[in-house]
Amino acid sequence: MEPSRIFSENALLQLLRSDAPPDEAIKYLYRTQFGITKAYIIQNAGTEEDAEDIFQEVLLTFIELIKNNKFRGESSVSTFLYAITRNTWLNELKKRGRSKLREEKFEKTKVTTEMDVSHYIANREIKAQLMKVVDELGDTCKKILLAFYFDNLAMKEILQNLQYENEQVVRNKKYKCLKQLEQLMTQQPQLAANLKSVLLYE
Amino acid sequence: MSDNSTNTEKLIQYMDDELDGDARGAIEQQIATDASLASELESLRLTKAAVNTYGMKQKIASLHTEMMNELKKRPAAKVISMKTILTYTMRIAAVLILLLGVSLLYQYYNATPDQLYKSNFESFQLRETRSISTASVLEALYKKGDANAVMNAFKSIPQPLAEDYFLEANAALKLDKPAEAIQSLLALQELNKRDNTHLYEEDADYYLAMAYMHDNQPSKALPLFEKIHNDEGHPYNKKVGTWFLRKVKRLAK
Repeated sequence: MEPSRIFSENALLQLLRSDAPPDEAIKYLYRTQFGITKAYIIQNAGTEEDAEDIFQEVLLTFIELIKNNKFRGESSVSTFLYAITRNTWLNELKKRGRSKLREEKFEKTKVTTEMDVSHYIANREIKAQLMKVVDELGDTCKKILLAFYFDNLAMKEILQNLQYENEQVVRNKKYKCLKQLEQLMTQQPQLAANLKSVLLYE
Repeated sequence: MSDNSTNTEKLIQYMDDELDGDARGAIEQQIATDASLASELESLRLTKAAVNTYGMKQKIASLHTEMMNELKKRPAAKVISMKTILTYTMRIAAVLILLLGVSLLYQYYNATPDQLYKSNFESFQLRETRSISTASVLEALYKKGDANAVMNAFKSIPQPLAEDYFLEANAALKLDKPAEAIQSLLALQELNKRDNTHLYEEDADYYLAMAYMHDNQPSKALPLFEKIHNDEGHPYNKKVGTWFLRKVKRLAK
């Protein structure tokens, strides 16, 4: 078993901003932050399962905010994550119709964190809708697009992994898949209108 | 391939940073002048961002199970909030204050004169002002700590001085003979009165009061303790605190 890697805040942010695989940074955040999130959610009318779901969502928002340069180290990573957690959980409780209880507690604890990240917390439903749209793509399309954009693999590597005839065939396939996804996304007005705020936090 | 799809392909290559030199400059010029191209580029960028969000979500989900397994194997670290710590601290403090209060009340209502005497009595210490050769016999014996010898020697002194009475009284207290101590200390007071002197006067106040306590006569000790307590300049003032005096008052009733 490999020893757990320990990051300084700068090293953590640098890795998440880069195109390098984020696995070690994510694991580090689980080791250092999940316990805090879990305690917070359980203390505020949630369950362990809620904590696991919310933490995944918080990590996604956190990493995307870093990649979009919306976090420049104005506070510690822990404080920033805590602020995202509080806002995400408040939104969830509002959705569940338990906002009154939650808001009372939220107001009481507001002084402990001065960061307001509520404007960054995208509507969960729109994001979920977007993920569903990507899921509608065929497996091959998803593999090509993820390999090229998310994993930053070169065409040669994608060609080897997916066993196409040549690079041009992969390139054409990628072009078609991207256009297909673009059309799927713009076909849904509510989704199309919120894409910028959901994806780029603008 | 149509013009539209050619442009789209170029836009994708531009977005993916695959164009260089003239080709890059040419498409940048086209984007700057063609709003529909600029709009399509933005749409493509959002599509790429959606792929990345989807990929990151999948990545986190794939690591989630692994990390949950790892974290569950760790010994559970209980996270205690500041509020909880404060609540427990306040509870412990309240219990301690209550116990202290109960203990003080118990002491207050259950103390006997003799207990009060024993918990506060300190025998008189002679200061080294004279050498053994020039000190009186009683003083030398007292310094040796031989209380019985002091009492025996005292009996052979035809006309005891103030110091003799005082040392004999302290030896008597050491030997738990409060009645004899009282007798000597009263004689010391009489001597001072007769000769208009003040020898061992303040020491006698305190040790006489203590002797009364030891002899279960708190009502006689009380005025002496009150005198000492009310006089801040009295050398034994610090030994007679408010709480001590309250206990004596209760016992004197």
